Amino acid sequence: MKDERQRYILFKIIMDDASNLNKRVLLNSLWHSIWKYFGMKEANKIGLWLVELNILKSYGIIRCSHTTKEIVISALTMIQEISQQSVILSPIKTSGTLNKIRQYLK
Amino acid sequence: MSYFESRLRVDFEDLDSVYRVLKFCEKLNISNLVLEPLNNSKYFREEIFHEIRENTNINLFFRFNLKPRTVKEFKKEIKFYQKVPHILSLETQVKEIQIQAAKDSRVHVLSFSDPINMKTATPGLISLAKQNDTYIEFSLAPIMRKNRALQSKNFRILYRFIQLILRMKPNFIISGDFDIPYELRHPRNLSSVCHTLLGIPLDQAKNAFSKNVELLLSKIKSRRKNKLIQPGVRLIKGDKKI
Repeated sequence: MKDERQRYILFKIIMDDASNLNKRVLLNSLWHSIWKYFGMKEANKIGLWLVELNILKSYGIIRCSHTTKEIVISALTMIQEISQQSVILSPIKTSGTLNKIRQYLK
Repeated sequence: MSYFESRLRVDFEDLDSVYRVLKFCEKLNISNLVLEPLNNSKYFREEIFHEIRENTNINLFFRFNLKPRTVKEFKKEIKFYQKVPHILSLETQVKEIQIQAAKDSRVHVLSFSDPINMKTATPGLISLAKQNDTYIEFSLAPIMRKNRALQSKNFRILYRFIQLILRMKPNFIISGDFDIPYELRHPRNLSSVCHTLLGIPLDQAKNAFSKNVELLLSKIKSRRKNKLIQPGVRLIKGDKKI
């Protein structure tokens, strides 16, 4: 059986006041979005991991399996509110290695 | 591949709000944008378009959307807009006008942005649009509603419409058509939504946000230069090409 490859997704956070945002809140709303739009059938394939969340620079990095990349991008796109505040989580770059994402950030 | 947000309604009488929205689009890394005057008044001034273009890094294009209620009104409005060098689209629920517009080469896009309009689309109309090289447009704004019941209803309507489009294979473009800045999304991300939630193959979804819009714009540009009448038709005088 082939090994599962991974994808790292860099996303931008656009929000008026991001002070309430933390890893737990973000992951909760992401899982909620995945469950709402894709259900358990897809959710169990994702292997979601929040690698980094930088509130000051308004970006985050998520790891998922390569087959579910589009699902995670859609789930991020469909999130409209976190803690009753309007938010945009806009995926801007996808890569197979974390190094490439870090280079893009520089 | 450069992606287009092919419909963003703005009020050209309030330039501050236009620049605010454009700033927001820059934040989202949107590089190509098609603006439409709010309420689609007959108001348009090329100098305003130029001014806005000069003050932003985004590639801007413009469009006008006709919403006639009768065929007579449509004919009158199309006469007014026919020399406008921008995208001309039509949005209506009236079958006769839709058919008339699908046949009319001056209308570039048949728009089905509203779920109520989507229900009026028929295979015959889509086929007619395909024959006349008219683009079909639909928007993703209805699926971003916060009301769950309304959102799922809109998903169903959009899904049925997309199945019709995929079966008939006309030229089609997808737009966001979002009213509030916080509803705006990058077209690349919207193509993922189209693929995963609405069942459009990823390459077709990407083309609907990029290549198809580019083709539409180049068609309008070449028509503006009077080089193209219809594909395969050219003007000649004697043996010389005009």
